[in-house]
Amino acid sequence: MTRACLAAVAVATTAILAGCGIRDRDPAIPGSTLRATIADPDGDGSLSRGPGEPLLDRTELAPRRRGPFREVARFGQLTDTHVRDEESPARVPFLDRLGPPVTSTFRPQEALSPQVLAAAVRALDAERPQAVLATGDLIDNAQRNELDQLIAILDGGQVDPDSGARGYRGVQQASNPDGFFYRPGLDAPRHPGLLGRAQERFFSTGLRAPWYAALGNHDLLVQGELPPSEATDAIATGDEALLRYDPQLRDLLDELPRTADPSPDLADVPQEAIERLLAHGVPGRRTHVPPDANRRGLRFAELAARLHDAGTPAPQGDRLDYTFDVGAQLRVVVLDTVNRAGGAAGVIGADQVAFLRRALAASGERAVVVVDHHGLERTQGGGAALALLDRDADVIAELSGDTHRHAIRPRRTPAGGFWQITTASLADWPQQSRMLRLVTAPDGSRALETWVVDQAGGIRGGDLAGIGRELAFLDAQGGRPNGFTGRREDRNARLWLAPPPPR
Amino acid sequence: MTRGRRLLAVALVVAASLVAGTALTAAVSLSGGFERAASRADLPDLIVRFRGRPRAEVSERLDALPNVEATQYRTEFNDVFLRGGSGSTGRGAVHFVGPGRRGYAILRGRDLRGRGEAVVEAGVAREWGLAPGDPLSVGDRGGSLRVVGIGLSPDNVAFPLARAARIYVSRDEFPGLRVDVAMAWLADPSRADVTLAQARAVSFGLEDVRFVTRDGVRILIGQAAGIVIALLVAFSLVAVTTAGIMLGASARSEVARRLPSIGVQRAVGFSRAAVVREQAVRAAALAAPGAATGLGAGALAMHGAADRLLAALNELGPGAALVWWLLAAWLAIVALVAAASAWPVWRATREPISALLRGGELAVGRRPRRPLRAAAGSRASGAHGDRFRPSAGGGLAVLGARLASARRARWAATVAVLGAASATLVLLLALASLLVALRDDPSTVGKRYALTANLSPSAVRDVERIPGVEKAAERTSVEASAAFSLGQPLRLVGFERGADDFESPPLAEGRRRRADDEAEVGVGLADALGLRPGSPLVVALPGGREGRFRVTGLVRALDNDGRIAYVREERLDALGAFGSTNVAVRLKPGADRAAVSRGLQRLGARPSEATAATTRNRDFLGVLATVLRIVALSVGLVCLLVLAQALVLTARERRPTLALLRTIGAGRGAMARVLGGACAVVLVPAVVLGVALEVLVLGPVVSSLAAGYAGLSLDPSAGHLALAAGGLAILGAGAVALVGRRVEREAVVAGLREEA
Repeated sequence: MTRACLAAVAVATTAILAGCGIRDRDPAIPGSTLRATIADPDGDGSLSRGPGEPLLDRTELAPRRRGPFREVARFGQLTDTHVRDEESPARVPFLDRLGPPVTSTFRPQEALSPQVLAAAVRALDAERPQAVLATGDLIDNAQRNELDQLIAILDGGQVDPDSGARGYRGVQQASNPDGFFYRPGLDAPRHPGLLGRAQERFFSTGLRAPWYAALGNHDLLVQGELPPSEATDAIATGDEALLRYDPQLRDLLDELPRTADPSPDLADVPQEAIERLLAHGVPGRRTHVPPDANRRGLRFAELAARLHDAGTPAPQGDRLDYTFDVGAQLRVVVLDTVNRAGGAAGVIGADQVAFLRRALAASGERAVVVVDHHGLERTQGGGAALALLDRDADVIAELSGDTHRHAIRPRRTPAGGFWQITTASLADWPQQSRMLRLVTAPDGSRALETWVVDQAGGIRGGDLAGIGRELAFLDAQGGRPNGFTGRREDRNARLWLAPPPPR
Repeated sequence: MTRGRRLLAVALVVAASLVAGTALTAAVSLSGGFERAASRADLPDLIVRFRGRPRAEVSERLDALPNVEATQYRTEFNDVFLRGGSGSTGRGAVHFVGPGRRGYAILRGRDLRGRGEAVVEAGVAREWGLAPGDPLSVGDRGGSLRVVGIGLSPDNVAFPLARAARIYVSRDEFPGLRVDVAMAWLADPSRADVTLAQARAVSFGLEDVRFVTRDGVRILIGQAAGIVIALLVAFSLVAVTTAGIMLGASARSEVARRLPSIGVQRAVGFSRAAVVREQAVRAAALAAPGAATGLGAGALAMHGAADRLLAALNELGPGAALVWWLLAAWLAIVALVAAASAWPVWRATREPISALLRGGELAVGRRPRRPLRAAAGSRASGAHGDRFRPSAGGGLAVLGARLASARRARWAATVAVLGAASATLVLLLALASLLVALRDDPSTVGKRYALTANLSPSAVRDVERIPGVEKAAERTSVEASAAFSLGQPLRLVGFERGADDFESPPLAEGRRRRADDEAEVGVGLADALGLRPGSPLVVALPGGREGRFRVTGLVRALDNDGRIAYVREERLDALGAFGSTNVAVRLKPGADRAAVSRGLQRLGARPSEATAATTRNRDFLGVLATVLRIVALSVGLVCLLVLAQALVLTARERRPTLALLRTIGAGRGAMARVLGGACAVVLVPAVVLGVALEVLVLGPVVSSLAAGYAGLSLDPSAGHLALAAGGLAILGAGAVALVGRRVEREAVVAGLREEA
């Protein structure tokens, strides 16, 4: 009896102390925004916890039905995680000073991308998905060491965010006199020691569910723009970095030969011209940095092989197009939209349209979700692919990333229509991922429920992921001013679908 | 209590309350002027100035900042010709303002609604006699606007203290204008640093960007009068305290006189509490009208002057809030007088009734009882022994001194009151000297040059060839902010190598700078940023670049609220830090300043005298003089009344002695010597006490309250002491004359009868 009492007292004490600790340290909050949201209600630039956002019924494609409903598939989406080697000499963090359309080449929270992804993984795991779709721009600069980090975080294990010599060397150092960069040791909000902590190895729990990658331009192109080459490899693995902006750069870029229809990125600049520019060197004073051979640029074969080792199906030729099932009633078709010639915009070829046709035909009675990075509407050649989707009554959604913004739009088609869903990135505010759940009723009614999930960093706890979110929120080029959180109905919604066709 | 004595007591309360009223009005009015004006004008938390850009381009960046509640944009045109009312100027500043929050208050009339209208800054309206409805001519071609309102914004001092006459016009007049000022109101001003860090990040591409926070504006305005106001406010707080001491001490003294009658009350059966209550009520009844009169008079006398001073700074007075302060002061004074009267009675009534009836001194601390009895005994011997024996005991003056000091507690109270008053007087003189020095003497802010000339650095050698010039050096001043904390404005002052000593306030810690990357920083800046010798000073320069210096020493700089760093001009050059550059000129001893000025003019310069810490604007200084004059007058009045009271009481109590003296032939001169001695015995120790109080307490307190970062000295000079002592001596002589005449008017027989 006495022992039981003592045990009870010990348990109660532990619980109370743990409770106190929870209040004091503001630990990781549960990620689902159905329960709680993270917001700045009074507009003073500081985040706090707000009420949850229940699912909103969206009936643009089909009316609301009554249940009972049964869950037939439950999966998550992580996109634009942009795991980056922020110390890499192959980065041009000052380029956003050229102004739009070049933006966000530097982010105040960029040194914390691995920790933010690890926190997102923990939050998504708590939602118990059957599979997780990683819809592109998973790494930032198509570097081998970035991929190492990504896979370690998603698969679980020890993650080494550092590169070059131990410790941080980059534009955010307090010794950098360029005040246009946020330096955590100096600038508000001050976080002394943040960069050192960000380079320390840490353990990632990894995703319990299998994850599948769709490629984005940043996964295969240097800075999401340039195909890796010997010249870019030399810069990336070299020991000289351009950390200071030189006004001559603008003139030089203005002088680059372009096609008649110039695009905002470098897609219209001939590869030779870029190679020539790199060979002569970008203007500006160079700084010595510790080299790292593991910063070499990834080629498709190596990337696909590494992803395959991690569980992603093998590519179809030189494109990472594939299918897989989530449960018995949902098939996912993944399309690779990266333009191998360079440029941030997506592209899809005739072979891929043919692959899509075959995949749709092979899906049988399963519902189909099509996944790509750029979104077919914004992808060159995407029209033909969309035409296929429009004709197929089994297609329930197209899931993409790239925009860093939550959005859910209905696409009405003669076959009944499907939902086009994009999800915010982890690189910018709101650093959320998405959960999706396909539910059906015995009468054939079905709906796709979706809600966004905050990464598990604390609000005021001082943990790196939490600080990453705070900085992302404050970033004047980031998701807050650009409205990346989308509208209320772009986040948590029950998307009603037309019943499947009679077989 | 006789009517005369009551009047005297009331007059003392009035005089002390006058000091309190004056000081309180000055303190309340001046201390919060900027905050009141900023609040009423809805001054933005963040003002960004830059070279003109399209509004959309700027607003896109500003709207993206965190913590921003509202924004506003302006276009400023300077050096515009303006004519209206009785004035005109070629230095008009026309601010084109957009809709929404304006950042200025409308004092009269209304705000802008459309084209053809203007809101005129209050200083301009005052100076030119403009009112809503008046026409205003703008530009050389005489475009006409109608004044619809009189506005006020504390982001600059008022015209004519500011050289530009400012008016506001709607942007509707020229909708396509590029904007060059952006203003932001923050949801949480305490997080301005976070907003500023982001603002800096997105300001790339804007030219000549300068950020100013509300704090920065306050310091900017403080350039004109900040230190003066700080000194006055600190002085006023001290004056209020000393007025309280005076009141308390004089009330205590009054009780001492009434001890026998208190003894009678106790003898007939009044309880201690009843006696104390009666004494407190009596004192409160006496103090209430006096305090109200004094406070009211002080407030009235000061109110106008303080309002004019604030108006010159574009700041606002406390308005009706002052009444509450005065009411609180009135209550405090009445309570103080009542308490100061009741407490000694409470303590005295512990004594046996017989001792009280003998008129025993008030109990002080845990002193043995002996002095009480001894005092009574000495009183008896005094009554019979203080005969007219000029040869024994040092003559009539000494006799007067002995008569006045026989009642030790009252003597001590009188000395305390006069000591506090004389300390205030000495402080006042030291303050006046300091203010003059701050106005006229650049060396008070560490400047060791007499003139500046708007010449290019290449002219330095030519300047040095002018007869009378000892040395010339390039001086650059850059307004910047701390890179660690962008909300903290600071000024960088650079002198070329070899001219570091041209501006070197006293060193508080560390050493002087020796290398280009070293800096001496003001204690004000060091306190704000936590800098110490050896710390890095990281400065965000206009345009976004950063400068880094190593702090070698902290200096007691007064300029810019001490938020200043002295560096090498060469380093500023290397950093591309552009500011205002001129040539500082140091003169040889005895050199003719006018001749040097003419020499500088021949080089094409417009020479100006090196500025000290405050403006030389005549009106402004006139207001300051008024403030000091009123306080001096009040303190003088207190001294006179206290002295008169002390002498009257002495004369009243020593009536038989004085009558006897007159009987044996003492004339007017002899009486004057007796009263003079009585006066001196309180005045001399009071002056000594006053000086000690000023040097050891009041001066350091005022200096520290006003500008703890600068180490201003308010030690009195020999001249101040002589002046204060002389002034008090004159007041003493006046009191002696007044009381002497009264003694003379009394019949000798009446005094002798009392003796019998």
